[in-house]
Amino acid sequence: MVVVQRRELTFWERMYLPEIVRGLVITFKKMFEPRVTRQYPEQAMPTTAVTRGQPRLTVKDDGNIACVSCGLCEAACPAYAITIDGKETDRFIEREPERFDIDMLRCILCGFCEEACPKEAIFMSNELELANTTREGLVYDMEQLKRSTSTLQPRIDYVRKINDRW
Amino acid sequence: MVDLLFYVAAALCVLCALGVVVSANPVQSVLMLLGSFVGISLIYLLAGFQFLAAIQILVYGGAIMVLFLFVVMLLNQGDPAVLASEQGLLSKAQLAGGLAVAGSALALLLAAVVRTEIPRPIFGYLWPEGGLDPLVGMAQAMFGPYVLAFEGASVLLLTTAVGVMTLAKRQRTKPSVKAAPLSSTTEGSP
Amino acid sequence: MPFLILLIKASLIYGGLLVTAAVMTLAERKISARIQLRIGPNRVGPGGVLQPLADGVKFILKEEITPDGANKGIFRLAPIMAAVPAMLTVAVIPFAGETVIFGLDFGLLSLTDLDIGLLFVLAFSGLSVYGVILGGWASNSKYSLLGGLRASAQMVSYELSLIMTALTVVALSGSMDLREIVEVQNTGNPLAWNCFTPVVGQVGLVLFVIATFAETNRHPFDFAECEPELVGGFHTEYSSMKFALFFLGEYCAMTVMACLTTVLFLGGYSVPFWEDAPWMVELATFMAKTSFFLFLFIWVRWTLPRFRYDQLMNLGWKVFLPIALANLLLAGAFISLT
Repeated sequence: MVVVQRRELTFWERMYLPEIVRGLVITFKKMFEPRVTRQYPEQAMPTTAVTRGQPRLTVKDDGNIACVSCGLCEAACPAYAITIDGKETDRFIEREPERFDIDMLRCILCGFCEEACPKEAIFMSNELELANTTREGLVYDMEQLKRSTSTLQPRIDYVRKINDRW
Repeated sequence: MVDLLFYVAAALCVLCALGVVVSANPVQSVLMLLGSFVGISLIYLLAGFQFLAAIQILVYGGAIMVLFLFVVMLLNQGDPAVLASEQGLLSKAQLAGGLAVAGSALALLLAAVVRTEIPRPIFGYLWPEGGLDPLVGMAQAMFGPYVLAFEGASVLLLTTAVGVMTLAKRQRTKPSVKAAPLSSTTEGSP
Repeated sequence: MPFLILLIKASLIYGGLLVTAAVMTLAERKISARIQLRIGPNRVGPGGVLQPLADGVKFILKEEITPDGANKGIFRLAPIMAAVPAMLTVAVIPFAGETVIFGLDFGLLSLTDLDIGLLFVLAFSGLSVYGVILGGWASNSKYSLLGGLRASAQMVSYELSLIMTALTVVALSGSMDLREIVEVQNTGNPLAWNCFTPVVGQVGLVLFVIATFAETNRHPFDFAECEPELVGGFHTEYSSMKFALFFLGEYCAMTVMACLTTVLFLGGYSVPFWEDAPWMVELATFMAKTSFFLFLFIWVRWTLPRFRYDQLMNLGWKVFLPIALANLLLAGAFISLT
C-alpha cells in the first residue's frame, strides 16, 4: 500500500484564480518558444550509415550491375521477397541477373541479403519511404532497385568495417 | 401582416398544445409544450410586450422546460406497447363522458370569446411611439403599488418549494457519502 | 430603400459571424499548436489559412449516419436547436455607431436595437441547451445521454450566475438595451467602462467570463463532451453536417458571448480618448476587444484541466451564485452612493 502525502494548499492556491492566472502566463510564454515540429516530407530525419532501410542493388562505376545472380540472397531471405533469374554475359564476369525482383511488401528489412552477398551487390540503403496505390506497384524490379555505388558508399564502408571484425 | 402573424402564432400555440396531449412519447410532449411557449411569447411580442416575451422564453423555455425534460428522461418510461394497451383500456362510456366534458368546456369558451367585444386593432401597440416596451411602467407598478402582492407571490413560491422538498424527502437509511477533500491522504496502489 | 439596407446589414453581420466561427476553428488549432510547441495545420493554403474551408468540404462529403433505435425526428432537430439560438442572438449586438458605407447611410450598425437586448441574448442562449440535451437523448446511446444530462444541469446552474452578473451591469447602466449600455460607457474616458467600476466591475467581469465558459460548454467546463469519459458526449453519434452544425453552434455561441462580454464590461465599441470616432475605428475597436475574449477562450482551454463534476456544481451553487448576489448588492450600494 502506498500512502501519498498531499501537500496542504495555501490560501492563495485554494482561491483558484491566482493559480489559474499563473498557468495562463506559463502557456502564454510557451507560445513564443521555438517549436519542435519536424515538417516531415520536406525535412526528413537525417539517416546514418547504420540505418537499415530498403535493400538496393549497386551499379558499379563502369555501368554494370554488381550482382552475379548467384542466388545466395534469394536463399537467405526469410520472407521469400527476392526472385532472381540469371543470364550469361560476354563480360569477364559471366553472369548477371535478367530479372531481380524484391517484393517490398514482403521484405522485412532484416539485412540478411546484404550479409549473404559475396559480391557487395546488395545493400540496405537509407531509403525508408514506401507507398503505392497497388500491391503490384510495390514489387520493385531491377531498374527500380539500381543505385550507383556513390549513393550507397556510406553503407558500403560501414558494412566493410563490420565485416573486418571477423 | 400583424394579423397574419397573430394567426400563425395562435395556430402554433393550439397545435402544439394538442400535440402535448396526443403524442405518445413524453419527450415529444415536452418539445410540443416548448413550441406552445414560443407561440405564446410571439403573441406577447405582437401585443408589444417585449419584456414578457423574453421572460417567457428565458424562464419557461430556458429553465423550466429543461427541468421537465430532465425528469422525463430520467424517469423509466416503460414499454411503449404496454402503455398503448393500457390506454386502450378506456371504456366507451368513459370516452364519451370525457368528450362530453371537454366539448361543453370548449363550447363555453367559444361562447365567451364570441360574446366578448374585442377592440378591433388589438395589436395597435406594435412599435408604439417613444420606445417599445412599457418596461419602466411595469417595473414601477411591480415595485410600487403591487410590491406586497409581488413579494407575497415569491413567498408563496418559496413555501411551495420548501413544502415539496419536505414531502418528497424520504427517510434516509444510510448516511450520505461525502466526497473526500482534496488535501487528505489518498490510498491506492501505484 | 430601408429593406435593402437591412438586407445588406444582415448579410454583413451574419457573414461576419460565420467567418469568425470559421477563423476560430483555425485559431483554436493554431494557438493550441503554439502552446504545445507544435506548428499546427499549414498545408491548405499559405500557412494553413484555408483549413476551415477544407474542413467544411470534408464535413459535407462525410457519410451521414443515424444510429439504429435513435429517435429520428429529434435526432435531426437537435443540431438545429444547437446552432440557431446562437446565431439569433447576434442580431442585437451593437457593433458600431452611425455607419455610412459608400455614401449609403446604414444607421447604427446592429441588426436591431431592442429595449430588452440583453434579455433577448440571455433567453436565446438559454435555449441552446436543448440542442445538447435532445441530441444526447435522441442518440440512444448511454454516453450521449450522460453527456446531455450533465450539460443541461451545468448550463442551467451557471445561467443563474450569468444572469445575476449581467443584472449588475443593467443596474450600473440603467438599461437593458445593449446599445444604451455601450453609450453610457462611451464617454471618451476608458475609466467609464464597467470593468473599471471599483470592485463591482472587476468581480463582475471575472464572474461573467467564467460563467460564459460554462454556458458555452468550453474547457474547463466541457462536461457535455468530456472525451476521456464519454467518448464525444452528446455528439458521439453525430456525423457529417449534423456534427458540423453542433460545432458551428459552439463557435457562434463563443463569439456572441465574447461580444456580449465586450459590450457589458469593456465599453463595446467605445474608443479610448475619442468619443465620436468614425464607425470604422469603432468597429475595429470592438473587434479587437472581442478578439481578446475569443483568444481567452482558446487560451484557457489549452491551459486548464477539466473540473470534476461535483467540483463544478459546488463552484456554481456555493461560490458563484453567492458572490454574484453579493456583487449585485454591492452594485446597488455603489449606485446609491454616486
